[in-house]
Amino acid sequence: MQAGTSTTHEAHDAHDHIHPPPEGFVRKYVFSLDHKVIGFQYFFTGLLIMFIAGSFAELVRLQLTDPNGAIMSHTAYNEMFSMHGTAMVWLVLIPLVTGALGNFVMPLQIGARDVAFPWLNMASFWILPVAALILFSSMLWGGPHAGWTEYPPISLADGTAGALWCLAIFTIGISSTMTGLNFMVTIMKMRAPGMTWTRMPLFIWATFATALMNMVATVALSVAVGALFLEHVFSVPFFDPARGGSVVLYQHMFWFYSHPAVYIFIIPAFGVVSEVLPTFARKPIFGYKMIAFSSMAISILAFTVWMHHMFPSGIAPWLQLPFMILTYAIGIPTGIKIFSWMATIWGGRIHFTSSMLYALGFLITFTFGGLSGIFLASVPVDLHMHGTVFVVGHFHYVVAGGAVMGFLAAVPYWYPKATGRMLNERLAQLGFWLFFIGLNGTFLPMHWLGLEGMPRRTATYAGFAKAFPDAVFWNQFETAFSFLMAAAIGLLAFNVIWSLRHGTLAGINPWGARTLEWTISSPPPYYNFKKIPQVFDRPYNFDQPLPYRNTDNELDEFPEFGRVLMPIPQPVGAGA
Amino acid sequence: MAAAAAQHLSGHDAIAARYRDVDPVYGETRDIRLLGFVFFLLSDCILFSSFIFAYVYLRISAPAWPPFLGGHQLPWFDTSFAAMNSIVLFGSGVTMHFALENWKHLNKAKFNGWLIATIVLGIGFLLGQAHEYSVVGISWTGTTMGASFFTLTGMHGFHVFAGVCYLTILGLQANRGTYTGSKYFGLTAGTLYWHFVDVIWVFLFFLFYIW
Ligand code: HEM
Ligand SMILES: [Cu+2]
Repeated sequence: MQAGTSTTHEAHDAHDHIHPPPEGFVRKYVFSLDHKVIGFQYFFTGLLIMFIAGSFAELVRLQLTDPNGAIMSHTAYNEMFSMHGTAMVWLVLIPLVTGALGNFVMPLQIGARDVAFPWLNMASFWILPVAALILFSSMLWGGPHAGWTEYPPISLADGTAGALWCLAIFTIGISSTMTGLNFMVTIMKMRAPGMTWTRMPLFIWATFATALMNMVATVALSVAVGALFLEHVFSVPFFDPARGGSVVLYQHMFWFYSHPAVYIFIIPAFGVVSEVLPTFARKPIFGYKMIAFSSMAISILAFTVWMHHMFPSGIAPWLQLPFMILTYAIGIPTGIKIFSWMATIWGGRIHFTSSMLYALGFLITFTFGGLSGIFLASVPVDLHMHGTVFVVGHFHYVVAGGAVMGFLAAVPYWYPKATGRMLNERLAQLGFWLFFIGLNGTFLPMHWLGLEGMPRRTATYAGFAKAFPDAVFWNQFETAFSFLMAAAIGLLAFNVIWSLRHGTLAGINPWGARTLEWTISSPPPYYNFKKIPQVFDRPYNFDQPLPYRNTDNELDEFPEFGRVLMPIPQPVGAGA
Repeated sequence: MAAAAAQHLSGHDAIAARYRDVDPVYGETRDIRLLGFVFFLLSDCILFSSFIFAYVYLRISAPAWPPFLGGHQLPWFDTSFAAMNSIVLFGSGVTMHFALENWKHLNKAKFNGWLIATIVLGIGFLLGQAHEYSVVGISWTGTTMGASFFTLTGMHGFHVFAGVCYLTILGLQANRGTYTGSKYFGLTAGTLYWHFVDVIWVFLFFLFYIW
């Protein structure tokens, strides 16, 4: 600590060691070590890539308005859906829910001043734009064509583009692993005094479960795509059946990661919902321990179900039954959560703010997607449904209706903390309705189209449309509704930027929420907590005083909820 | 109300007292680093496990092992040479152990001796591997056997190489006074890493030379 900079913040006890904030634009905003700034970097990068990947999706939808293909060739179509899936999974969802939310919220909620390894955190972020550049540059060589899964042997025909795809996923995988490791250590070692495991906010439990999967599973993905890379570049035979390799091996390695990966993006959303629902229902969370336990159960069970993606791939029949049962079993912890959330809002005083709307919408769409997952878990059903748009319907209900919805609930919820200003509530609510209606309109018809056998990942479906003439109408219907979703995301981006200047001032705790981040000013100062608070209980008991001592600000214990739309003006950064 | 609140908090005072004087952010740096390093080794372990899984999978699903290439069944590996080379590597684990113990007992001269022995043995192992590669008679790109063998042992060899560099740096740091008798996290990490590389080799040796 230099003598000159130590005067930029108040004097503290000698052992407090608050590091001085960095100076200069680059240190502050580009190569920043501050977890909050890194969170914003993830947020804006993720949102930007979401626009690109989303426009690929709209091109896919436009193509399908005509059973003979409306706008592009088969190869271009294959490239579009492959790039859409790849970019959305690895460059949008995982960075947004773990990188943006985890980075911004997690250290604040555990009362820490930063993550365990800030330098590693910065490196994890900067890998993301590099991986994105590699991935998008593969389009100069024609792009990947075998979907976001890039199964060999088809993907082996992708040449340079395929190799670049592998390289991009390998790099982003390393970033995920490092983030997982960092978050694990942070949560295990840096909680505020008195915050025992069973006093952690549920978002922290969720982040912990996610970090565990990130750290363990992602390496398996790196190995799968690494081996595929070696096969592309040096023609090392791992997967090519003509040379003794095994394509099913790739599927095992890929899904051993990618099934946990789907939980990597849903569990943080679970965490968000577990924060938002009690806050806006003004009731303690129902079944705290069960929700925490089920997050961990999911993260462990998630490693035991991967073969449900491979039922038709020629795996041994004696393997199918256990994997079917295990897949059903993972529905149990998920169901526990759904029931706990419903019990939480039951009889509460519900305030329909935009984040509450998103959380309630999440309950509906995510549950629906979970149920169609249970359908697919059954081997005989899956043999019929695999490779149809039913699967596309299933996973978009859980991913868009679950993970993205949870993320969208988090944005208005923590925006005031992050920026000191409220998100424009009216625009945010409009965005919710656009998103919710758009989502259902886009993905609901896929369920019956899939039952009738409409194949996924094909540029034309003239044969299917001949057998089921309705299909054309429903596909056009889906395309129309998909633009509502796009509009919702556009609106969100506009709102985020507009409210930076024009939002009403938020104050310390606009929602009357009870986790630790709401005891410090908005936006939080560089070092987050002047004094490290002490924790005496878990945060959700709305009928009791706040369980903290030694906080930076004395909080109103039973705030008037009317503040939400008309917050009491307060100078930004008061107390910092 | 206030009384109820006090009641509510009193049960937890013991825990609060335990944490009172600990600075949770910067007070536990060594702990934090150690845990981070252990997790790094864990993820590295998964790196090897995944490739081992691939090898086992390819091997048990192949019609014949070693596989045929151009109508000829491939040769088997030279187990006795590899066993000798393994002893070299395991020996380096032992010397590394002594190096760290001597550091803890502030015996810098012996520490240096054992560390140099470790580095020399590590380089010896790498030379043995190089010899093995030159005589093994299969290639990386020929068959799944070559693919698994060279990828796995190559990755392991790379780890040994990185370890040799790492230990060299640690030795230089130690002699420049970076570590003390009570603060030597880097040396602990280096030792853990080196033992980890040894343990991985146990599995590889069994899987390629004994199985
Ligand atoms: C109750 C929980 C769930 C069950 C039982 C379940 C079951 C399944 C099954 C059996 C499949 C394979 C379908 C096939 O390819 O034939 C599948 C696909 C998929 N699921 Fe789920 N699922 C569940 C929850 C989730 C969640 C929470 C997510 C993500 C947030 C998710 C994301 C996906 C994705 C992305 C695919 C498709 C992968 C592809 O082939 O492209 N699922 N699910
Ligand atoms: Cu799955």
